[in-house]
Amino acid sequence: MNDNDYIYQAMFMLDNGEVRDQGFNAVRDWVKATLEKHGAEVKVLRHWRESQLAYPIQGNTRSTYLLGYLQASQQTVSKAKAEMYLLGPVIRMLVLKEEEIPAAELALGIADVADTDVAVPDEEPEFDPFADEPEADEFDGGAAPEAKPEVKAEAKTAAKAEGEGGKAAEKPAAAATESTKSDS
Amino acid sequence: MTEEISTVATPQNPNSIEFDYKDVETLLRFVNSQGRIYSAQRTGLNARNQRKMKRAVKYARFLALMPHTV
Repeated sequence: MNDNDYIYQAMFMLDNGEVRDQGFNAVRDWVKATLEKHGAEVKVLRHWRESQLAYPIQGNTRSTYLLGYLQASQQTVSKAKAEMYLLGPVIRMLVLKEEEIPAAELALGIADVADTDVAVPDEEPEFDPFADEPEADEFDGGAAPEAKPEVKAEAKTAAKAEGEGGKAAEKPAAAATESTKSDS
Repeated sequence: MTEEISTVATPQNPNSIEFDYKDVETLLRFVNSQGRIYSAQRTGLNARNQRKMKRAVKYARFLALMPHTV
């Protein structure tokens, strides 16, 4: 290990279309070959998960993630990153410095994955941000919600006005009776 | 003689919390329903851990594991 070499954790976001067409192992091998071409030593490269994206990227709504650990210099990483963004199936990649490779990850290594284990949907579904959320229960017809305080206040003022209106209506009638009395 | 308290965040330090950008379920506890990161006053984390959490959330957003806004 050179003085300029560090351990990196790398997460690659892969285009599902490419994974579907070429197969997961072929895409993974391309990523590995590109990293090694620039002088990186790939320790671990494995399928992490296939999931819906939180927001669409370049028309993709789902993606396959590839997790890797490598030993390389900073120049190597930047060169490999530049090539991957220009060519190939990598949509995005995140490379972070690590102290050491976890033992559990090191045990996994670079194992072949059966294409049946990497479930990629046949068609790119339309973006639905709430696709993974469970469906809300239907309204069970329970008690009606209580009226809002504003509505209550409005109702009070209306009742008050009505009351005053009623009194006002009574007043002229009373005045009229008084006038009739005075006439007589 | 009083024992000196270590201020460096190490695995032995109980105040140190590690946040992983892959652990979206945990990170979702630190953002509101619109996807905004809660303040340190709200989360109760110290400055170092708040920064770690913020970085993890931003990495998760970059990889579209979490939304920027809802």
